[in-house]
Amino acid sequence: MTRTLAAIALFTAAAAVLPLFLGDNPYVADIIITMLMMASLASAWNIVGGYAGQFSFGHAAYFGAGAYTTSILLTTGNPGIPLCVAAGVAVSCVIALLTGAIVFRLRGHYFALASIAVAEIVRLTALNLDITGGAQGILVTDVSFGALDMNSKNPFYYAMLFLLVFTLCLSAWLRRTRAGFYLLAIREDQDAAASLGINLYLWKNMALLLSAALASVAGSIYAVYIRFIDTSAVLSLRLSIEIILTTIIGGIGTLWGPVLGATLLVSLAEALRSNMIGAFLVNAGAVSEGSAIGKFLNNNLAHAHVLVYGIITVLCILNLPKGILGMFRRKGSA
Amino acid sequence: MKEKLLEITSLSKHFGGNAAVSNVSFDVEEEMILGLIGPNGSGKTTLFNCITGYYPLSSGSVRFIGRDITGMKPDKACRLGMVRTWQRVKPLGSLSVLENVMIGAFAKTRSPVRSRNIALERLEMLGMGGLGPKAAGKLPIGLKKKLELARALATGPKLLLLDEICGGLNYSETQELLETIRGIRENGTAIVFIEHDMKAVTGLCDRIVVLKSGEKLAEGLPSEITSNPAVIAAYLGAGYGHA
Amino acid sequence: MLFFQSLISGILTGGVYALAAMGMSLVFGVMNISNFAHGELMMLGMYLAYYLFILFNIDPFIALLIIMPLTFGFGYAVEKTMIGRVIDHPSENQILLTVGFGLIMSNTALLAFTSDPKILTTSYSSSSISLPGDISVSIPMLLSFIITCALTAALYLFLAKTKTGMALRATSQNREAAQLMGIDVSRMSSIAFGTGTLLAASAGAMIAQTYYIDPFAGHTFLLKSFTICVLGGLGSVIGAAVGGIVIGLVEAMSSAYLSTDWKDVVVFVLFLAILLLRPRGLFGRKGEQ
Repeated sequence: MTRTLAAIALFTAAAAVLPLFLGDNPYVADIIITMLMMASLASAWNIVGGYAGQFSFGHAAYFGAGAYTTSILLTTGNPGIPLCVAAGVAVSCVIALLTGAIVFRLRGHYFALASIAVAEIVRLTALNLDITGGAQGILVTDVSFGALDMNSKNPFYYAMLFLLVFTLCLSAWLRRTRAGFYLLAIREDQDAAASLGINLYLWKNMALLLSAALASVAGSIYAVYIRFIDTSAVLSLRLSIEIILTTIIGGIGTLWGPVLGATLLVSLAEALRSNMIGAFLVNAGAVSEGSAIGKFLNNNLAHAHVLVYGIITVLCILNLPKGILGMFRRKGSA
Repeated sequence: MKEKLLEITSLSKHFGGNAAVSNVSFDVEEEMILGLIGPNGSGKTTLFNCITGYYPLSSGSVRFIGRDITGMKPDKACRLGMVRTWQRVKPLGSLSVLENVMIGAFAKTRSPVRSRNIALERLEMLGMGGLGPKAAGKLPIGLKKKLELARALATGPKLLLLDEICGGLNYSETQELLETIRGIRENGTAIVFIEHDMKAVTGLCDRIVVLKSGEKLAEGLPSEITSNPAVIAAYLGAGYGHA
Repeated sequence: MLFFQSLISGILTGGVYALAAMGMSLVFGVMNISNFAHGELMMLGMYLAYYLFILFNIDPFIALLIIMPLTFGFGYAVEKTMIGRVIDHPSENQILLTVGFGLIMSNTALLAFTSDPKILTTSYSSSSISLPGDISVSIPMLLSFIITCALTAALYLFLAKTKTGMALRATSQNREAAQLMGIDVSRMSSIAFGTGTLLAASAGAMIAQTYYIDPFAGHTFLLKSFTICVLGGLGSVIGAAVGGIVIGLVEAMSSAYLSTDWKDVVVFVLFLAILLLRPRGLFGRKGEQ
């Protein structure tokens, strides 16, 4: 426990001073904020997916609920950002309770399918209602909050960092409590867990509720940061899947797996998006810029990051289903 | 006169048109070891699943410590003091042996420290003291069976339902486990014991219920059962001395 | 007349849904795997039909003769190299693998064909037959419905009468027992996945004139196919056929009487209701596990 806490403290300290070294580079800050966000989301998902073993394929619903609730409140007269965040958490928790009431009666394939269906209902509802701006989405202009400079990246950087550290501490603590043990028992064998006095329905819902609340906070921060949301950005099935992939690739059920996964995948996506890889190949002389391949890479690699996610997922499931950290752990214990 | 702990009244369970268990009644008293025997497919495990709340009953009732627990969920039954083990063992595979037993002990306490102590004690009692850090999924079958027992015991049960706990064990392992079970009863826990092989249970049980094709064929003291002509004809004739 | 118009278009659309869902159900039955790349396999059929028409001027319905063997081979190979390797894994890993495979397919299509939607227009794309009472029946939809019926019948005969078909059904009933009886279950998996791919791609090819063709066109059909399979009973091919028609009708009726925007919501709510009330579906034997 002390070692885990020390690691979290070290991580926090390093991350807290990082902006001082980055200086005023909004581009890099933006990438790191995205990493922190994906790491928070994946860590939140890990509580219900990694610890309790309940693969929710609809986590975008909770992220989106936070983002939408916050944006709607901000456009209808900014009651203060903490209140927006709290309202988002409340909405997410209601959705999570409804979802849990339906999906936790089901197992395996059926659970996965039902979680997608619930998330799709949330997405289509947001797409068709007036209050959520329909297909146009919501543009937020007033995000003022006290004396904070909301045009700077720093408030968002530290807000996301705080959320991530909070989620990590919570996960580490949970792992040592009865609740944490119960979630692991449910993951390993539901019938055995029930025979040992574990109320499956109660604990799965607790895990989902906690996870949904954390994902919602990430959504709220995102909404204030980007100031524009629509269903494809915050409620898509693709986001739900990216959250799962981040956790799986880093190492499901481990504390640092989601952080590692987010760091790798966000860097990779950015390297592809900014055409860093294409440029590298050209500079290294592997491909000439004017050739057909060079042109193809220049034009297309920017769109290829999801393709690369797909390839990584397939390779990961076929070759290291426990993720990168899981592989080390297995080797360590053997 | 001992108190009745478990009362099964006219319990039936149908799957579609097939009666897996029909109209079975018996009682279990405090500190009793009751053997539930019968050939494969006679409905023993189905009966367990009905008693512990894994299957809804088609008809009949189950009372435990004077309460009607018909249709009660397994976890709630466990918290009342009735716990079962599994014929097909269900270790929480990627957790350690100690963690497995701790999860059982959490039925008694919220505190991880206290649950750890209970778990260590139970493991010691079953002679698994040194196995705590091992991954439960990697144990050999005999130890997995013992782990089932340790985990169930850690919940602090009043009644323990053991489903073929000796299956897959060799002779000396079986004898050792039966000795442990006798010790558990002496500490005040009643036991219902499913066994396929009759010889294993006659020495241990206070009373025996024989099932055949889902129906109760006979009930009585072990001596009565082994001399009951119907039992001998239906079950012992073929299987006795076989194992 | 709105009612009859909706009834007819619901049944016609439902036929195509049924075809796609039968493929998914077959794969689920034989392999016990939920294929999340099923929509992408439909998308593959759409693009194949489009390019066969554009490049070689082959009518999309005739093109089925080329598309079917091609996609069967593709599915067979994919099962051998990828999907079949996780048959003993937990269902979450299987789902993620098929999700990953789907991402590869749709994003490869994105690189190859860009995200601009393509439209396949034949000489009869927008022609229709007028029935008394102002009801019109689209020719391409009618043709695809007829072919769907023929394919369903063929699939039924294949499963009921041929040796391979019976082996497939036996594997679907009980994989272990089938193996003990000497059936090559891993070959059955490959055949099931190949046939599933063939059916999905055929459905895609047949609706290529009716829907926009883009790399993510299969997405909506994925969730619909699942709904249909669950309604019909996961693993039941006949259930999928009936479920397809039912969902087609539900959609047509909710567009007509509720609103087009909410028709998908109605379908998903129905989906959840079936999962809760009758997880075995209408014809299913594999219930909640």
